[in-house]
Amino acid sequence: MADTNVKPRPLPKPTPATQAFWDGAKKGKLMLQWDPTTKKYQFWPRANSVRTGKRNLQWKATSGKGELYSFTITHVPTPGFEARAPYVIGMIELDEGVRIIANLINIKIDDVEIGMRMKVAWEKLSDDITYFAFEPNKRAKSKPKK
Amino acid sequence: MAKSFLEDKEICIVAYGETKIVRRGGRSAYEIAAEVAEQLYKKTKLGPSDIDGVTFTVPISECSNPFWSGYATEYLGISAKWLQTSDIGGASAIGNVTRAAMAIKSGLCETAMILGVDAPSTQWRAYYGSYRNEFWDPVGVQGPPGAFGLLMNRYEHQYELDFRGLGALAVAQRNGAIKNPNAYEKLRHKITIDDYINSRQISSPLRLLDSVMWADGGNGLVMMKTSRAKKLGLTNRVYPISYAEISNFDCANQTPDITATGHSVVGPKVLRDAKMKAKDIDMFHPYDDFLFAVMLKAEQCGFAKKGQGSQFLRDTDLGPKGTLPINTGGGQISCGQPGLAGGGINLTEAVRQLMGEGKGRQVPNARNAMVTGIGVIPYGRNWGSANAMVLVN
Repeated sequence: MADTNVKPRPLPKPTPATQAFWDGAKKGKLMLQWDPTTKKYQFWPRANSVRTGKRNLQWKATSGKGELYSFTITHVPTPGFEARAPYVIGMIELDEGVRIIANLINIKIDDVEIGMRMKVAWEKLSDDITYFAFEPNKRAKSKPKK
Repeated sequence: MAKSFLEDKEICIVAYGETKIVRRGGRSAYEIAAEVAEQLYKKTKLGPSDIDGVTFTVPISECSNPFWSGYATEYLGISAKWLQTSDIGGASAIGNVTRAAMAIKSGLCETAMILGVDAPSTQWRAYYGSYRNEFWDPVGVQGPPGAFGLLMNRYEHQYELDFRGLGALAVAQRNGAIKNPNAYEKLRHKITIDDYINSRQISSPLRLLDSVMWADGGNGLVMMKTSRAKKLGLTNRVYPISYAEISNFDCANQTPDITATGHSVVGPKVLRDAKMKAKDIDMFHPYDDFLFAVMLKAEQCGFAKKGQGSQFLRDTDLGPKGTLPINTGGGQISCGQPGLAGGGINLTEAVRQLMGEGKGRQVPNARNAMVTGIGVIPYGRNWGSANAMVLVN
């Protein structure tokens, strides 16, 4: 597992179906695909609605806010994350009703708690790619624990 | 289709083969296949010219080869009427038993070899498409351990997770590997629950001893009609009697309970089709990429109550003479995972036990077994393919 050759963090290669997501990210907007038939969002981006099979999805800029559904602390880093380890990977349930897996930044490991409010944050990886991460949304109150 | 097309015991398994598990052994999947096939010929007194159907699990070490089945059977000298390579990962082993049974039953072939052979610790050739390049790899998720860290943490939030229960399972499986000469040699030593608890965190709460280790190896079976087995004098027979499979359980749901898996469907179904209850099952051979997967399946296949899997594992004797023997040969976690042939580790042990050849780890009077499979880790869920099978002797 210990690799002496330090590899860079992998860069996404957008496709026609995902380009709008990355165009939004570059402007600091979290774009999600919205299904006009069921009036629901879905994630991750792809060519078709997972509910109807139609290729009629629309892109909408979203709030980028949600609640932490789960998290894991990564002790064995993947390529490009060596300097960050240990780091937190979170699964965030966005207010739009989808879940997204992302790095949690600007938070101490001991302060991470399921149910806490989160908001999107951005990390510039290259001229073309700005990547999503999440950070605590300190202005929001957490929902009471179930 | 009848309730279970397998229930009449028309199709049987007549032999199993298995190599020792090694790390970076240097042999290719073809060379491993040759060893498994030779064992199967020896036990059945058949040869390559008698085999007319072959199933494979796609090997990681050969998955960039678009003609794997053709190359592999040519290598073995088998002229086949029916070939199938399945890519449902660790679900492929029992999946292929069912696919072979269908092929035999429909007359596509007469004598099928079910092979799982792989050498990923010698040659790694996996590539994943779909969302991986854009929405997974750049996030820094530690692969399957990362996905299971997320899953375990959520479970712990919703229910109680007693890590000593997972530790008890780790110890029970390790005791099996110590008695299994085919297990990876470096894993054949005792561990304690404390060793499990104190093993280093990988993607917490998931620890090192929660996890499988990639290795090389292979396993296989021969299947045919029961009437033909009788004619050939093959007397030690095992029958698959029920099977169910589901891939991408509840997948359009964007906010599912990630602790609910496809096994909540297929586990109860195979019991119903076998006209059994969980308490009638003599031994459980669940696919074990991580201990936690075994725990969730123990709940969802009906052995433990929902949310009480870890307590069940902690309080149950899981050894070969216990209340519910689990993965008596060590499972993949204590044998090593021979790549995508790994699902065959659990299946082969079940067949070995049902043939009464468990030696120092034999489950007394074993009449039946439940075997499960898991394939692929999807985005933000548990596992992609879930299947289960009940076998009897």
